[in-house]
Amino acid sequence: MSTNKPKSVLPSWMRFQLVEDIFNYAVHSVISLFSYYFTLILKILLRKCTGLCELQRICYKTEKGAQRSLEVEKCIYSSRRKVIRRICEKLDDLAKNGRFNSNNTCEVVRLVEHAVEAICVEKDIKPSIHPEFVTAMRICFLQIYGYKNLQHEIDSLRSIPFDSTNQEHEEKLLLLWKTLNPDYPLKSRVTKQWTEIGFQGEDPKTDFRGMGILGLENLLYFATNFTKTARCILLHSNHPSHGFPFAITGINLTYIAFTLLNNNRLKTHFYNSHFGTTCLEDFHRVYCYLFYTFDKLWIEEKPKDVMEFSYIKEKFVCNLNTELEKHDAILRWNPPVEDI
Amino acid sequence: MMGLLSLLRKLKTTPDREVRILLLGLDNAGKTTILKKMSSEDISHITPTQGFNIKSVQTSGFKLNVWDIGGQRKIRPYWRNYFDNTDVLIYVIDSSDKKRFEETSIELNELLQEDKLNGIPILIYANKQDLFNASPASEIAEGLHLPSIRDRSWQIQACSAISGEGLKEGLDWACKNIKPKK
Repeated sequence: MSTNKPKSVLPSWMRFQLVEDIFNYAVHSVISLFSYYFTLILKILLRKCTGLCELQRICYKTEKGAQRSLEVEKCIYSSRRKVIRRICEKLDDLAKNGRFNSNNTCEVVRLVEHAVEAICVEKDIKPSIHPEFVTAMRICFLQIYGYKNLQHEIDSLRSIPFDSTNQEHEEKLLLLWKTLNPDYPLKSRVTKQWTEIGFQGEDPKTDFRGMGILGLENLLYFATNFTKTARCILLHSNHPSHGFPFAITGINLTYIAFTLLNNNRLKTHFYNSHFGTTCLEDFHRVYCYLFYTFDKLWIEEKPKDVMEFSYIKEKFVCNLNTELEKHDAILRWNPPVEDI
Repeated sequence: MMGLLSLLRKLKTTPDREVRILLLGLDNAGKTTILKKMSSEDISHITPTQGFNIKSVQTSGFKLNVWDIGGQRKIRPYWRNYFDNTDVLIYVIDSSDKKRFEETSIELNELLQEDKLNGIPILIYANKQDLFNASPASEIAEGLHLPSIRDRSWQIQACSAISGEGLKEGLDWACKNIKPKK
């Protein structure tokens, strides 16, 4: 009688690998189990000694801002309590549907109030004895879900492709030209003139690509709200040897801003600078900061030609990441006085 | 033990040959999307390429270093800075943009006359075949006078960078036609 020996199918080095993997897995699970119980016991001890729960300890030991809100966020999302999990799920859902919007203040306040109350009941905290905790948690919830709401809002704008048959899109595009170049009207809709503000060819419609209408909205916000600065950067960008294409760079900056928002890097900035929900305009302002600082970096780097764009962009993103890793990060810039 | 095992594994395989592939074409032809699709990355957030992108793609027996250079008219003069040591040239065409067939044909002809690219196999991707108004690859080949190319091997491959259809076939052709190292 012959029996199958599955082992013989594997080459010898793979068998070693398997044993090694099982061993690693076992060690890993023992360590994580141990650390789980260790933190649990530590938490119970701390709770008994201080009379405060973890959320309270976070709120009392930190100032309002990124450090507090990030810790609170981590704490509520790793909680195993059913009530807290339900709160997170419910608020996540609402943020995904755009309900944590600054235009929706009444409802947002009500939602946050409910969430804070529920946490106080669950954790046996008396709001009258801990009013600071209640205020702190309100701000944290507004920030955490305001950010998620913004992520969703920005992504839905990005996924609308630029459509040249849509009159609203076309009007915005023409307004961009008018704002940047008021003295030189466009000769026609499809013209080489577009390259003067840094589009690739005669028709900008193919340049927005994956950033969709968000790319145009960003450019237009910058040009209309910081006109002097935008025109000044446009002037730099048209330098014959040290120039860069203004509009295309802008679309690449939209991508950078969008990526930073999505990988949660912008949390530090928003949690430190907005003690409520965030809105589209706040994202636009981050974009303006990016444009301004990119132009500065470009001039400092003195690139020999536009092919150095990839390298400078990489350096720019690297600088931003270092900046945003700091707990007290705020992306601040000083627009020229005329622009304020 | 870990060190010994990984050493053994390394000995098992011979190192793949590194191949330099240049990806050129007009702006909005789909070069970056092709590059990202080849390396199985997300293609929904593409922006116009300023400068260039590089990615390494692993295929059977080859490590393909693909250089995707921006296609905007202003930066086409810089293409020549990347010609050295190219093993295969891939030229991408937007099959749905009939208005620019002439422009793309002129650029392609200039590339074919470059000394540094002399005799290098050329693969033409007739991209965006997913669009209803895309011209078929055969028609594009005629329009570009590809059959009159005598000094190198060439191939036109209909593809759609968005769905990924045709990309692999093109790369397989490219790998088969790489000249052995002198």
